[in-house]
Amino acid sequence: MRKARSKQQFDALTRPWRDRLFGVALRQTQSREVAEDWTQEALLRGWRDFAQLTDQVAVYAWLLKILNRVVADDVRRNARRDQLAPMLTTGDAFLQEQACTSAGPFEQTVQTQSNEQFMKAVQALPDNFRQVVLLRDVEGLNYQEVGEVLDIAQGTVMSRLSRGRRLLASLLIRTESADGLAATSIHGGKPT
Amino acid sequence: MNDVEKSEAGRFSELHLELQDWLAGYADGELDDHHTALVEAHLAGCEACRADVARQQVMSRRFQEVPTTRMPFDLQKRLDKALADAPEYSDPAPRTTSRFNLRQWLTGLYRPAVVGTGGWVVALVLAGVLLLPDVGLRSHDHIRMVSDALADYQKVAVTDLPALANTADISAPAKLAGGRLLATWHTTVGGEPAQAFAMRRGNSLVIQYRISEHVLFRNPDVRQAMATMGGYRTHEKQLEVLAVPMKEAGLLIVGPANAMPATSDLDLEPT
Repeated sequence: MRKARSKQQFDALTRPWRDRLFGVALRQTQSREVAEDWTQEALLRGWRDFAQLTDQVAVYAWLLKILNRVVADDVRRNARRDQLAPMLTTGDAFLQEQACTSAGPFEQTVQTQSNEQFMKAVQALPDNFRQVVLLRDVEGLNYQEVGEVLDIAQGTVMSRLSRGRRLLASLLIRTESADGLAATSIHGGKPT
Repeated sequence: MNDVEKSEAGRFSELHLELQDWLAGYADGELDDHHTALVEAHLAGCEACRADVARQQVMSRRFQEVPTTRMPFDLQKRLDKALADAPEYSDPAPRTTSRFNLRQWLTGLYRPAVVGTGGWVVALVLAGVLLLPDVGLRSHDHIRMVSDALADYQKVAVTDLPALANTADISAPAKLAGGRLLATWHTTVGGEPAQAFAMRRGNSLVIQYRISEHVLFRNPDVRQAMATMGGYRTHEKQLEVLAVPMKEAGLLIVGPANAMPATSDLDLEPT
């Protein structure tokens, strides 16, 4: 039987991930205090379940999975989950406005937005889309790892990612359109 | 439109809707060859889906520019205290069951055979690892900081190094035994500013790149290697790349394999 593992071992394995874990928590809530509580709770649960961590499991993916449960438990307690996720296709009218395959106009849309604006649009995604997009595009996990963290099949990861990114693109284009309208009205011009 | 054309249009529309959920997999290179071929055949005739793939790639790149959040010092201290105060947990007790377990029975019955076979398997795997030195070194195709550093090294290796004005005021991030600083310059690694330090070590050119912490920890393979081995090492042909963390920064060292330091021998600049 494996010997009891020490806090020192736990600390050495998890400390490099603290910042990133906090970053993930922070992107799931508007409140810094809540993100801090989630991070602490995830680490304490990690310590409690440390004996279950085997050499075959990536430490970060394991911590993310625990954090995901902490967030899910907390959010469920506060009964604000399961938003109705809209289904967009590539034929969506907003997306069609920038249907150029060169990605140039859309790239410009994305680049003109600050990090805060960009992440605000990400925050506006329904939970199940946002989680997958963040784990893949910010944390850099592959589909298998995302699936393990969220307890979903790889096919589900792919479909949520496709839909989540499509929705995000739509939100970014809408934000730009709204900003453009605001700017034209501020400057007294007519929206085109 | 005749019946054949209507039927083809219907099939295209059906496939178009089905492929909507595969486009992320295609953009991320996570589809197998068969599905990749299917998507590519569709993309050839569907501008909307081509635009969708292009947008997905743009957004993935944009995410890489969002800076990593740093945990406030107070929270670090709070976590340290919470863990120090947390109770000690012992290993969970082994499960006992009174039900007949066929697998256990078989294992018990054939234990000598299982152990013997297992021994051979381990020996064969070890032999394979020893005979194939590349095994264990990771592919870096998807790690931009590594490709950038290698490209910079290869470019510098065929051009003149910038002259170093005053070596007394400059030191490389890592002291390498027998290494002499030749030049330093500013470059870009992983899309962010980096400083390069070229050193002569024996007859070899070794270049150190001081990079941002964000770039260093961007890739999950690198992060995993940092957490388990303290550093990430990969190679391309004769060149080796070593990535190690420093205080609020990262260090990449590129050079011929025989001139590269061991991770444990690195003498990093004081923090």
